[in-house]
Amino acid sequence: MDGLKEEGMGSLKIFTKAKCPKCPGVKEMGIELKKEGVPVLHYDLDTIEGLAEASFYSILSTPSLIIEDEEEREVISWRGVVPTLQEVKQYLFRGLS
Amino acid sequence: MSTVIEMKGDRPGMREEFETTDMALFVRTSDESMHDWDRQRIVDALLRETYVDVDTAKEVAREVEELIATSKIRMVTAPLIRELVDTKLIERGLEQARKMHTRLGMPLFDVDQLILHPNKENANVPHGPEATNLTLAERIKKEYALLSVFSQEIADAHMRGDIHLHDLGFIDRPYCSGQSLEYIKRFGLSLPNSIAMAKPAKHPEVLLAHMVKFAAALQSHFAGAIGWDSVNLFFAPYLVGMSDRELEQLAQMMIFEFSQQAVARGGQAIFTDLNLYWEVPKHFEDVPAIGPGGEVTGKTYSQYIKEAQRFAWALFDVYLEGDGSGRPFFFPKPMVHITEKFFRTPGHMDFLHHICEVASEKGNTYFVFDRGETAKISECCRLSFKLDQTDLEDAKQPWKMRYCALQNVTLNLPRIAYHAKGDDTLLFSKLTEFIENAVKAHLEKKLFIEKLLSLGEKGPLALLAMDRDGSPYLRMHRASFLIGMVGLNELVQIHTGQEMHQSKQAFKFGLKVIAHMKLLIDRFSERYGMRFLLEQTPAESTAYRFAKLDLKYHSPKSGHAVKGDISRGEVYYTNSTYLNNSAVLNPIERVRQEGLFHPLIEAGALTHIWLGEAKPSKSSLANFVIKTFQKTQNDQIAFSPEFTTCNLCHRTSRGLRSTCAYCGSGDVDGITRITGYFTKVSSWNKGKIGELRNRYRNQAFLEESEGKVLLNS
Repeated sequence: MDGLKEEGMGSLKIFTKAKCPKCPGVKEMGIELKKEGVPVLHYDLDTIEGLAEASFYSILSTPSLIIEDEEEREVISWRGVVPTLQEVKQYLFRGLS
Repeated sequence: MSTVIEMKGDRPGMREEFETTDMALFVRTSDESMHDWDRQRIVDALLRETYVDVDTAKEVAREVEELIATSKIRMVTAPLIRELVDTKLIERGLEQARKMHTRLGMPLFDVDQLILHPNKENANVPHGPEATNLTLAERIKKEYALLSVFSQEIADAHMRGDIHLHDLGFIDRPYCSGQSLEYIKRFGLSLPNSIAMAKPAKHPEVLLAHMVKFAAALQSHFAGAIGWDSVNLFFAPYLVGMSDRELEQLAQMMIFEFSQQAVARGGQAIFTDLNLYWEVPKHFEDVPAIGPGGEVTGKTYSQYIKEAQRFAWALFDVYLEGDGSGRPFFFPKPMVHITEKFFRTPGHMDFLHHICEVASEKGNTYFVFDRGETAKISECCRLSFKLDQTDLEDAKQPWKMRYCALQNVTLNLPRIAYHAKGDDTLLFSKLTEFIENAVKAHLEKKLFIEKLLSLGEKGPLALLAMDRDGSPYLRMHRASFLIGMVGLNELVQIHTGQEMHQSKQAFKFGLKVIAHMKLLIDRFSERYGMRFLLEQTPAESTAYRFAKLDLKYHSPKSGHAVKGDISRGEVYYTNSTYLNNSAVLNPIERVRQEGLFHPLIEAGALTHIWLGEAKPSKSSLANFVIKTFQKTQNDQIAFSPEFTTCNLCHRTSRGLRSTCAYCGSGDVDGITRITGYFTKVSSWNKGKIGELRNRYRNQAFLEESEGKVLLNS
């Protein structure tokens, strides 16, 4: 899996909040993808770092996910909606196919 | 008139009356009567005003009497006696008693200066006897506030310049407010202490007269702006059947009435905001309309869209024309709400072009962006309230929609960075300390205002306590408490070595600071059950004051951080969360980047686009506005052109010039936006003059070249 990362896989940024019903599912998805070697960065909007990063990406609702390429350019984002694991993987690994 | 005591040397017959000394003094008191010297008066004052015991009071009085007698002063003033008493209190270590016994007032020299020279703390205050009265009263109330309303800790934090307590001279009033025309439409004009009561208006001109008078009454109860919600819509039921000419006349009356109120408080025009909508806001669609005589018309507001739109159009016709000499109107400020529904309402593009033409020609238009389901009412320089579920319930009875911000406290952010010396932990802990002080200041002011309001309609805030609909006019439970900031850009610069526009890391650090503030004040809101909100402080004089104080206390570091020209004394910090004014940035990029802060700053935020001499086409500005709405999180934008108006030939030309473009006269005034409003440059303080010199005016981006508008790219 590490090999995949070296070939230019995008990174995933996950934005969640404590009081957010759909967030636990997205957090689990993040853990899953991390196990597969995807660089996952998790931001909690109840923390300074998390809220600042969310503001930078104009994230106004949770959960939100952003996939960026190696140069930190946004590939796709889901804001306030939960994509399937399959959808996320599709964009993360698209560069490899 | 202050109390004056004169040596009564020419009245030897009086000497025997005094048992302990040979002192012969007349005391000329503030009630303009003459009193003989009586030591007992010192004792009485000490017992009345402080907690000292009788024996100490008598002892102090005797000592002061002896001091005056032995000093052989020919003439003494009552303030001097009071000061002498205070020195005796200090000698005894009675610090609290000294504080309680303080006399508030001003030195003769200062009063002389004040009467002769204009006040530059607020460019909206002209120079004249009324303005002098206002400034004199403000000075005393400011001292009173710092001594008596706020604790020593908070007063000291203000004096040091860690924080700025705004409008201390208006300590006995809330800060600013949002009004509903429905209140006077329904209840007429019935003000406490007024000698005549007016029933609800039957004609549009009368409604306007009521609105102007009520605004003036409110101006004397609030420190800052008076905002009016949905003005064109609420006027609409009165406008049925009016011809274009009549409507234009009414629009003219409204704008001239509000712009020429230089006879109100302190000679100040009433800081008025008119909130306007092209559509019928969703929350008013099904609300029964109130019409002539305060009666419901049997229709809902959505059925008055045509009249509301015609009136809004007519108001902008008047703005486009300008005043009698073609100058932009300084007040009232038109705030047009751009919403999702705006773009679904027929005719919106024509209206957008119309208001963009005004923005380009005269600069008046403020574009307020209410995205998604957010509904807002904007007031003050950029304060806005997002309406929550309770407000939307109130919207069914719109006269209840009365809001206020009780106070604004601004943090000196660069100061925090000087203290932190590059250490993140120190920086955030100092920031927390400053916010705690701001919260404490709010608690103290709230307590004071509640005390005044508790006296009800017989008290000093009778107007705000009046009850016509089952709750006091000022709804304290809906009040906001504002915490503002100055110089985020300089904090980041001092702490990271880069200004916010210079790198992504620096910009993100700025976001971290504001995120910290936001999370912390949310916790305080929960703890105290109060609504603390972040606001982009207009900081007309605060940005200058903080910079000056930091040059004094944090030199040489501050010398590298403050903006402006130190040699001229024209120094300032960048306002609130703005990027450096002089940074060369594509305006849409500035709007986007500054807009990233706006969702964190709930009480409203604004980005200025300084136009200078440029006059972009209405279609390029309309395109800019649409892009801002769709592609950014920016809350509000305003385009600011510059003008030169001639005091000799009374003509107005584009750009800031030292002589008139028409007649060559040097007797000219520059006009442009200072913070949240237009005014004459000659009335600006030095800090804002320094900022004006540095403003990047976007010409290169705004000029049309080869038929292609750069903003469109």
